[in-house]
Amino acid sequence: MLKQIKNTEGFKTIANGLWRDHPIFSMVLGICSALAVSNKVDNAIAMSGGVMFVLIATAIIISMLRKLIPLRVRIITFMIVIASFVIIVNKFLEAFFPIISLALGPYVGLIITNCILMGRAEAFYTHNNTWLSVLDAIANGIGYSYTLISVAIIRELLGFGTILGFRIMPAGWTNWVVMSMAPGAFFVLSVFIWLTRTLAKQTPD
Amino acid sequence: MKDRLLMIVFILVLGSILTISLIAVDNYTAPIIKKNNEIKIKKSVLDVFGIPYSKDTIEKVFSDTVEIRKIQNKTFYILKNGDIAFEIKGSGVWGPIQAMIALKSDKKTINAMVIIYQEETPGLGGRIADKSFLSRFKGKKVVPELILVAHGKAKGVNEVNAITGATLSSKALQKIINTNIREYLPLIGRM
Repeated sequence: MLKQIKNTEGFKTIANGLWRDHPIFSMVLGICSALAVSNKVDNAIAMSGGVMFVLIATAIIISMLRKLIPLRVRIITFMIVIASFVIIVNKFLEAFFPIISLALGPYVGLIITNCILMGRAEAFYTHNNTWLSVLDAIANGIGYSYTLISVAIIRELLGFGTILGFRIMPAGWTNWVVMSMAPGAFFVLSVFIWLTRTLAKQTPD
Repeated sequence: MKDRLLMIVFILVLGSILTISLIAVDNYTAPIIKKNNEIKIKKSVLDVFGIPYSKDTIEKVFSDTVEIRKIQNKTFYILKNGDIAFEIKGSGVWGPIQAMIALKSDKKTINAMVIIYQEETPGLGGRIADKSFLSRFKGKKVVPELILVAHGKAKGVNEVNAITGATLSSKALQKIINTNIREYLPLIGRM
């Protein structure tokens, strides 16, 4: 029974997104945004939600149009589809979550250049049906999100002594300023990639 | 030839559909975003004047207490007792700093200041947004010029203790205050 499930396309897709072909530590895609917005947990959640939405929406559109898209203009097609959904996310955040929108600054717009989206569109959505593509989008979205959020938990805890704004560290805790700045992201993310690659027994290509 | 035509038609059709949906989203969100920005400014005005308000009463409190006056595209917020507030902005160390400053009716003394937006180093320059730092500006004279000095050295009526470990952010804030004041004061004089 377990073996049967393991051999289905759906299971493979999910496993690939969550672990084997994990966008960040296996394919090293989407690093820039993972570094930039992982200083606070609420920013990481908002960014994850945005990426997840754009991934799913792109998966639906591209996989539905996959037989219509002329081969030579496929990259332009990905670009305009992704860009449109990113603008929608940006407007939505500005209208309903102005504070988070301000904190994320230009990085929401930069979801457009998040290589996970282009990479998945090119590698997966153009070759698979809508159902599998959406599954792949969700798996990759969760893969991206759990990395971003765990990095953010470590950085916010050490850099501000809080998680989601709630005080965790005892009074008198000295904030590690470096954690809330860009260098802290490099330290934490590289430790994360090192750990997960060791666990997954992957060697760098 | 037929392929090329198909390609162009495909991109045009897809592009038009997406553009139309973007216009729809923009139409729907634009008024909400505009309102958000207005509330952000109103909040900072009430904060800088020290007027209490809640989320629901902010519009009413603002229109009851504050008078808005525009001179040469600059906006001034005026209280009945003559206190006057306006927005100042400029560049900090990492990004823009935006603040609201309130002067007493003599137009020379700072009554209060709040930071609307800043991206300074958290824990160092980021402390420019702390109440404990901003309260140091109360009663200081902006004429002829405000000066931020090393911590504990402030003596004159136009000297303010800077933040130790955040010299650049302190200097940036000093420059923002002085350049903006120089620009706004002549306009206030014409009121």
